[in-house]
Amino acid sequence: MTAYLVRRVGTGIVTLLLVTMITFGLMSAAPGGPAVIVSMTTTASQRAALTAEYGLNQPVPVRYVLWLEHAVTGNLGTSFDYSEPVTSVLGQRFPNTALLAFTALALSVIIGIPLGIAAARRRGSLLDALITGFSTVGLSIPDFWLGTLFIILFAVTLRWLPVSGMTTVGAPVTAGNLLEHLAMPASVLCLAVLPNIVRFTRSSMATVLDLDYIRTAHAKGLAPARVLFRHALKNALIPVVSTIGLLVPALLGGSVIVESVFAWPGMGRLAVQAATDRDYPMVMGVTIVAGVIVICTNLVVDLLYAVLDPRIQYG
Amino acid sequence: MARVSGRAAVAAVAGLAMLAATATPSLASSRHKAAYNPNATITLATNADPTFMQWSPTAYAESDLINMMIFSGLTKWSASATPVPDLATGWTTSKNGLTWTFQLRHGVTWQDGKPFTSADVVFTFEGLVLNPKLGAEGASNYADIASVTADGTYAVQFHLKAPWASLPAYLAYYAPIEPAHILQGVKDPWTDTQFDEQHPVGTGPFELAKYVPGQYVELTRNPHYYNGVAKVKTIVFQIIPNANTQAADLLSGDLSILSVQDAQLLAHIKTDPNVQVMTTTQNTWYMIGVNQNLPQFKNVKVRQALEYALNRPAMIKAILDGYGTVANGPIAPVQKAFYDPHVASYPYNPALAKKLLEQAGYKYNAQGQAVNAQGKQFTINMPTGQYGYLVPATELVQQYWQAIGIKVVINVEPWNNWIQQVVVKRNYQAMLAWWSTPTDPDQYPYFASSAANVGYNIPNYRNPALDKIFLAARATTNLAQRVKLYDQAQVLIAQQQPYGFLWYPEDILATQSNVHGVPNANIAIDVDQVNQWYVSP
Repeated sequence: MTAYLVRRVGTGIVTLLLVTMITFGLMSAAPGGPAVIVSMTTTASQRAALTAEYGLNQPVPVRYVLWLEHAVTGNLGTSFDYSEPVTSVLGQRFPNTALLAFTALALSVIIGIPLGIAAARRRGSLLDALITGFSTVGLSIPDFWLGTLFIILFAVTLRWLPVSGMTTVGAPVTAGNLLEHLAMPASVLCLAVLPNIVRFTRSSMATVLDLDYIRTAHAKGLAPARVLFRHALKNALIPVVSTIGLLVPALLGGSVIVESVFAWPGMGRLAVQAATDRDYPMVMGVTIVAGVIVICTNLVVDLLYAVLDPRIQYG
Repeated sequence: MARVSGRAAVAAVAGLAMLAATATPSLASSRHKAAYNPNATITLATNADPTFMQWSPTAYAESDLINMMIFSGLTKWSASATPVPDLATGWTTSKNGLTWTFQLRHGVTWQDGKPFTSADVVFTFEGLVLNPKLGAEGASNYADIASVTADGTYAVQFHLKAPWASLPAYLAYYAPIEPAHILQGVKDPWTDTQFDEQHPVGTGPFELAKYVPGQYVELTRNPHYYNGVAKVKTIVFQIIPNANTQAADLLSGDLSILSVQDAQLLAHIKTDPNVQVMTTTQNTWYMIGVNQNLPQFKNVKVRQALEYALNRPAMIKAILDGYGTVANGPIAPVQKAFYDPHVASYPYNPALAKKLLEQAGYKYNAQGQAVNAQGKQFTINMPTGQYGYLVPATELVQQYWQAIGIKVVINVEPWNNWIQQVVVKRNYQAMLAWWSTPTDPDQYPYFASSAANVGYNIPNYRNPALDKIFLAARATTNLAQRVKLYDQAQVLIAQQQPYGFLWYPEDILATQSNVHGVPNANIAIDVDQVNQWYVSP
């Protein structure tokens, strides 16, 4: 197990290194250059001064090595746009994205798994058709459209919820106030991943429910609830757990749009701005955080398999 | 409700007035007699996180209005868009026009209590703006300033390389004076997080109370402001990146004032009875530049033909929902003293456009294509950048030009890439963009022969006669003479079409109906009068 962990962490680090290398290369190769240097009103001499000031007059490989040297010591450089250390900006924004994404994921699991089970148990029924239809529609609705629709309905017309932001300016920060602001973005983000969970739970559960040992369990007179939850669900959950792992990148991607629509002060919005403005240090910072999250989630998912299925062992 | 006797009512009103007068001494001198809430908050939106150092190259448009409230310049905009004294009380010019002396206001203090003096002005220009190592934002606007020196504690002198009558206007144009006692000796003023992000210190009507990155900036009124303490206590800028969300925040009542950036949203906003909308023509001109380094665009008939081919009123309707005025030159109608409405105009006339192309040597083949002497169709490459409505506007131009037999090839590019290709490398044939300038007639940088290929003269137009007029206008501060010279410039420009002029867009300001005192002018002018804004109780 230890050897396995060491190996996995090792490959994780190599993956991360490759990701940073490729991102750095692509970003530097992208035409245009940083907005801080290239604007309608900067003149040639201003551009030269700024290029020197930001150290962009050196070749890309040199800049990458310099960046890496600093990065391994925890210094991700200074953002062009924010004139602040990248780590401190990420430190402010990451918890907000984590809160949003975690809430959305938790909602999706709490709602999605029971819906999937219900659909699997009554395959072909009206309920199944409704749930499957709903998840197909959910998969096809774009986040930004749904977000705008929610705002018009719940904030402008009904006035139940605040339009945007994370807290009310001037009001004391309370859990209730935060929840009011979290409700719409978390629901929209939840609807972006929920259909996946419903569909995977349904198909996985459907497969398991057809297996012989389930019929045996029923035959020996076990209570249907016990068969469903102890025998079927435990096995059916394995592919669902891996789906949840796969959904983490989708959540981070979805947060990019949801955060922009709801003015949620998270990392997704930061990523959009950094990419548009070619804020190189910030793009790298966001890449590392996203990379670490994805690599860690995959590891956790693999370890969870072993917990859920004793046949799987890592050595 | 009990009836109140006449006398008691008068007394009550007098009492209220006294109460209000003690709250803000400026009320007595105000022309707004209505009562106001001295503890009110006005909420605005901005697109992204600001930088409180206005001269930093990272201070984009989202920082402009916030910094105008925290800081002051030597001059500011009057409600009629002319530069008037602010930190300066007045100025004189030497006979040769090369030395300007600005008298400074006495008794002004920075928001940390230190006195404002000439050292601050000298530092702002010598230490930041004119420092070639720093590449300050907008520094190129001040390229004609050789040096700035103190003349005692309360006067400064600007020494110019060439006469420049527009100096006071440019000093009102996002040109805040920064505190020398805080920033002098700072190694890199663009990354001084302490000042730029946390504790800016200005002399303006508001000071920073709280900045929550990604969420909002809260300003509170400066009780020591020298020019009439503000009538609202708090101004909040909510950081909202999405234009639709901003509009929703206005409709839900969360925003008091919104500068509407997308006119298409206005139809919906106007249905709200609590919102009032003000529009005013911006000092911004949208234009098409054709690269006059290329022989096909050197012929003025070709440039005129391209302009006649456009149905600009229809474009304004389609792109701006009608919120714009047809432009025939670079001086906008808001500059009432200088704008000449009687220059050559180019009303939509595709037949005339075709005729002009024929006079320029093109022929029309059986397919209706304009072909040159070698029989090749007139083709224009037109890169366009993903910014605002540039892409749909460019697509309309493509349709109009194709209607007179010209093939237009559009490449849609990311904004920075477009700037790199078009503005920096001049690698284009036609492009559509805009210039936004101080409300001042000096448009020389956009037309100067010396700025072809390198500066703001993106179409690379060169005309010594026009240069001469602009330079003569820079050399005189006499209003009548300036009007005459800028009139000559406008006539020549309209005839020559160095740019194809499109429109002056309108500034659209939507406010809640309890917000008052905001002049009906462009947003920068409005913000220069922020101490007059008030909220009715």
